[in-house]
Order: sequence, then structure tokens, then C-alpha cells
Amino acid sequence: MSSSNSTVSSSDSNPRRCAACRYLRRRCAGDCILSPYFPASNPQRFACVHKIFGASNVARMLQQLPVHQRARAADAISMEAYWRVQDPVYGSVGIINLLQHEIYMNQHELARTQAQIAMHTAQQQQQQQQEEEEEEAQQASQPVEAPNMHPQQQDLFAPDRTYLDLSHFPDFF
Amino acid sequence: MGGGSPCASCKLLRRRCSKDCIFAPYFPSDDPPKFAIVHKVFGASNVSKMLQELPVHQRADAVSSLVYEANARVRDPVYGCVGAISFLQNKVSQLQMQLAVAHAEILCSQMQQEPSMSRQQMDTEDKSFLLHNNIATLPQFMNFASSSNVVQEPLKIESFWT
Repeated sequence: MSSSNSTVSSSDSNPRRCAACRYLRRRCAGDCILSPYFPASNPQRFACVHKIFGASNVARMLQQLPVHQRARAADAISMEAYWRVQDPVYGSVGIINLLQHEIYMNQHELARTQAQIAMHTAQQQQQQQQEEEEEEAQQASQPVEAPNMHPQQQDLFAPDRTYLDLSHFPDFF
Repeated sequence: MGGGSPCASCKLLRRRCSKDCIFAPYFPSDDPPKFAIVHKVFGASNVSKMLQELPVHQRADAVSSLVYEANARVRDPVYGCVGAISFLQNKVSQLQMQLAVAHAEILCSQMQQEPSMSRQQMDTEDKSFLLHNNIATLPQFMNFASSSNVVQEPLKIESFWT
């Protein structure tokens, strides 16, 4: 920027270039399609994308999309490129495989756990039923007690019992 | 290729298919769309570089995964494979939640069978406590952060290696 830095070219010292134009060592135009999504603060992001997809392919892909979808597309492309750099053989497909495997294991575990729950519930119900049946059986086996004839209890047929005097009633028959 | 027709890549690129063509083993001439889609998304020179950096025994798998990714990107120009990954991550979350609930239920029923604990003690508050405890201990899996929430209708995700 200063005149003393005469060996530094003006394009290299331009701080407003996006990461893509910096990497490609070109002037960053005002309408550079890559600059909103590949800021100079993150050069690695574009480096991965350029290595896997190539700058022109990425620019073409973004250009074919409506503006409001380009940011998401750039993020997704960057992620895919990053995963491909990390795993040159399988890339993001390796992650899909891992997740599918995890889903399979979780489904298996869930089915096993639900079967255990069903078994517990069935055992509990069986126990409750058995307890109820035992209670009923105990009640059924007890003998029926005769009415308690206490000595103090008045004998209803004792001759000294005072009955109603029937002579007061008219003779209807 | 021994006297045969050029491979799909050399046909598309209109060049002579040499004996040591790096694409020939993986892009046969009878399947032109396979190379066409990979070329469209990644570019022939990028694919060539990627394959050259790999040992020979891994190149077939690499080509298969590149074809898969390219297809995903053509079907979904915004999210590509990332859409599928986001969908699968959500599925994993759901299953882990269901598992936590199921484990909590088992714990509850086991505690109910304890003779020392009366049935009245295992009320809904205790069950809720157990459930939340289980969820809090769920493992943190990979967080594929993006600038937006990527949840959408998934691609048809067949098992890749069947």
C-alpha cells in the first residue's frame, strides 16, 4: 500500500479481494460471483472447493441458482469438498454410510428394548392375575360361620315370651 | 484398452484413449452418462488428479462415491449430499430420543418391581426425571454446521455398498 513497498504488486496487496480471487491471483471484480461466499478471512474454504470442484465449476453451479439459494449451496459445496479432502476415497458418502449404519444399530436396539418392555409388562400382568386368583381362592376356602347363639340372646320360642293377644283381632275367616 | 473402443471419458473429451488411460477401467464405453455426470460436477482434470493420488485398489470405490455425489448434486443443486446427511442426522436424533424413552420405561418398570418401593412412589414426576436424565446423557454426534438449517426431503438413500 505504501510507496516504500514497491516490490509488492498492487493486486497482491489489495485487501478487498475475496479468497477465490486471491487464490487464483486475479483481480476481484465488483460483481465477483464467488466473493460473497468465499471471504478472504477463510482461505482454506476456497482451497478445498477449488481442489475438488474447480473454481469455474463452482462459479457455474452458483450462477445457475437463484441468488437467495447461493449461500446455502456454497456452504454445502464447501462441506462436501472438505469431507472429500479428509477422505479422498469416500468423501461425504462415507459419512452417509456411517449414519445409515448408526440408524440400523439404533433401530435394532430400539426393537430389542421395546421387546423387553413388552415382556416386563406381560410378566407384571401375569403376576397381578396370579395374586388376584390366589386371593379369590383363599376367600372361597374359608368355612361359612353359623349365626352366633349367645346365651344372653332371647329364645324367640320360649313359652314365657309375651305374644300379641290375638283376641283383639277380628275373625276374618 | 486393448484394441477396443475408447472409454466413455475419452469419447466425451474427444481424445485418443491410451492404454494407460486412468479413466478407462472405471468409465467403460457402454455407460456414457456415468462419466458425463462426474465431468459436469467435478471436471475431468480434477477427477484425474484425485484418482492419481490414490492407490489403484482404492480407485474403484473413489469413482463410485464420486458418481454418487455427482448424482446427488445434479438432483439437488443446492444441498447435494449434504441434504441426505442432514436428513439422516435427524433420523439418528429421533431414534436416540426414542431409545432414551424406552430405556427410561424399562428403568421405571424395574423399579416398580422392587418390593421395597411402593407403587405410589413411582409417579409421573419420577418418570419425567428419569427420562430427562437419560436424554441429557445422549452422545454428541457430528455437527455439520451450515449457514442454514438443512432439513429437506431426502434423496433416495439406498445402502451404498450392497
